[in-house]
Amino acid sequence: MKESLSLAWVDWRLAGRTAAVQSLGRFVVLLPLAFAFLALFLSGGIARYLSSQYAVTAMLRQSASPEEAIGLAKKIAALPSVRSADYRDSASSWKEFLLAYPGVESIPGAADNPLPGYIEIRMRHDRFTPPGVEAVLSALKPVELVDKVLAGEESLPRLFKVKRALNVLSLGGFGLLVALFFVTCRLQDRLRGISMSGDIGFLLQHGVPERRMAASRAAGAAAAGFVLAAVATASAAAALHFLLGRYPFLEGVIGTQEELLSLPVGAAAGLFVLMSALLFAAASLLGWAPVRPAGER
Amino acid sequence: MIEAFRLGVFTRGRTLWDGLDFAFGDGTATVIVGPPSSGKTLLLAILRGERRPDAGDVLVSGESLYRGGGDALRAFRAASGCVPERLDADENRTVDALFARSAMMRGKGAEAELKKMKEQLLSMVGLSGTEGVRLSALSASERARAALAAELLRNPKVLFADGTVLAAGGPHAGMLGTLFRMLAGAGNTILAAERRLPPEWAAFAGPGKPVGPFLVHRLPAIPMKGGSA
Repeated sequence: MKESLSLAWVDWRLAGRTAAVQSLGRFVVLLPLAFAFLALFLSGGIARYLSSQYAVTAMLRQSASPEEAIGLAKKIAALPSVRSADYRDSASSWKEFLLAYPGVESIPGAADNPLPGYIEIRMRHDRFTPPGVEAVLSALKPVELVDKVLAGEESLPRLFKVKRALNVLSLGGFGLLVALFFVTCRLQDRLRGISMSGDIGFLLQHGVPERRMAASRAAGAAAAGFVLAAVATASAAAALHFLLGRYPFLEGVIGTQEELLSLPVGAAAGLFVLMSALLFAAASLLGWAPVRPAGER
Repeated sequence: MIEAFRLGVFTRGRTLWDGLDFAFGDGTATVIVGPPSSGKTLLLAILRGERRPDAGDVLVSGESLYRGGGDALRAFRAASGCVPERLDADENRTVDALFARSAMMRGKGAEAELKKMKEQLLSMVGLSGTEGVRLSALSASERARAALAAELLRNPKVLFADGTVLAAGGPHAGMLGTLFRMLAGAGNTILAAERRLPPEWAAFAGPGKPVGPFLVHRLPAIPMKGGSA
């Protein structure tokens, strides 16, 4: 066996055009898959959207001073499940009410502001779960400054049920696409193996061990998969970054540009690239179908 | 040195042949002649280490191809070349593709040097300019010669040619005989199997020695200066 013989690239060397066309096809599929993966990871499925639509409102007592309220809002914002906690004083509260119900002030006896201040609490999308909401409520209820907590508790179970169902649907859909992609890759590898049966038979006939050839081809497929997935993921991230900047409403559904560039998302993207490389290697190994001369072995 | 002892093959409930002994020294050219269905292809496969005989053994430089750990077999195969009788699996490959995979097994070699060698080899077998042609578009004679030229790119220490000479046809048989003898003169071992002795070879092929259903003819080597083909 000559040292320079590189079996890892045997497909590229002996069936270069087929390998290139198949790789291009794989890239075209990997690109939307990477986009979907990043969007799903950032959004947590439907969680980001639902958490952006949901708020816990802590109505404060009339006796609460603005300083006390601001201090309380800061403490609430420090809770692990909370994304933001904003204090609205009595005047802002009344203004919002008047905007929501114009003309109310003209009703006799309603000219004076009867509303107290309140703290609007938004949940983190990844902690928007029954225990997460419960942790916030149990932290608010014993506080003396808080008169009432409005959390829509009666409709929360239904909301979480919908969230779970939609997440299962989106993750299941993604998993199905990945599975279909894997099956397609495996079929491609099988077909290429069949079209290269003459070459494979030739190499086996000339002393190349079958296991070594299969392992080397899988390693080559993994390397090619790594490069393809890395380029696809980088392209998908760039596209997502652009879209999030261009259409701000997407931030409430998927996430912010800053989050996209964060370390956890980078780690997840790296994992996606590694998993793609493994998927390519597995498809190559499973698609390994050398046609050996009769009677051999 | 390839030695085969007491080779036997039993197939479809009968003995095809049994107790055959062969010895092929380094730097020799041999043609094994046998009638159709006598097992010539099978014999070459056994001598190449691709098909375990039902009886007997094959030794290369004193090491068994079938009883060792596989290293001797792999090394022997890597140093061997084979021109099969049929190239069905390569129908859709081009002549260039045959050379490309042969070059892979050859390992080291500058692109330009390999290209030059390819052109020389194709010219020698009368197939200049066929690099991009698919095998399916070539005649049986041309396919045999293209496959032989691709194998010679690696300068294999041992060359097995199964039906190559008669497939190449009369006009090329004389050239192939000289080529095989020159390769033997350079120290290579050539083993050809044919249905009959090519008439062009009758002048220099020695008298056939009967071994089972086969006649084994030695071709006198043509000494080469420098000792390498």
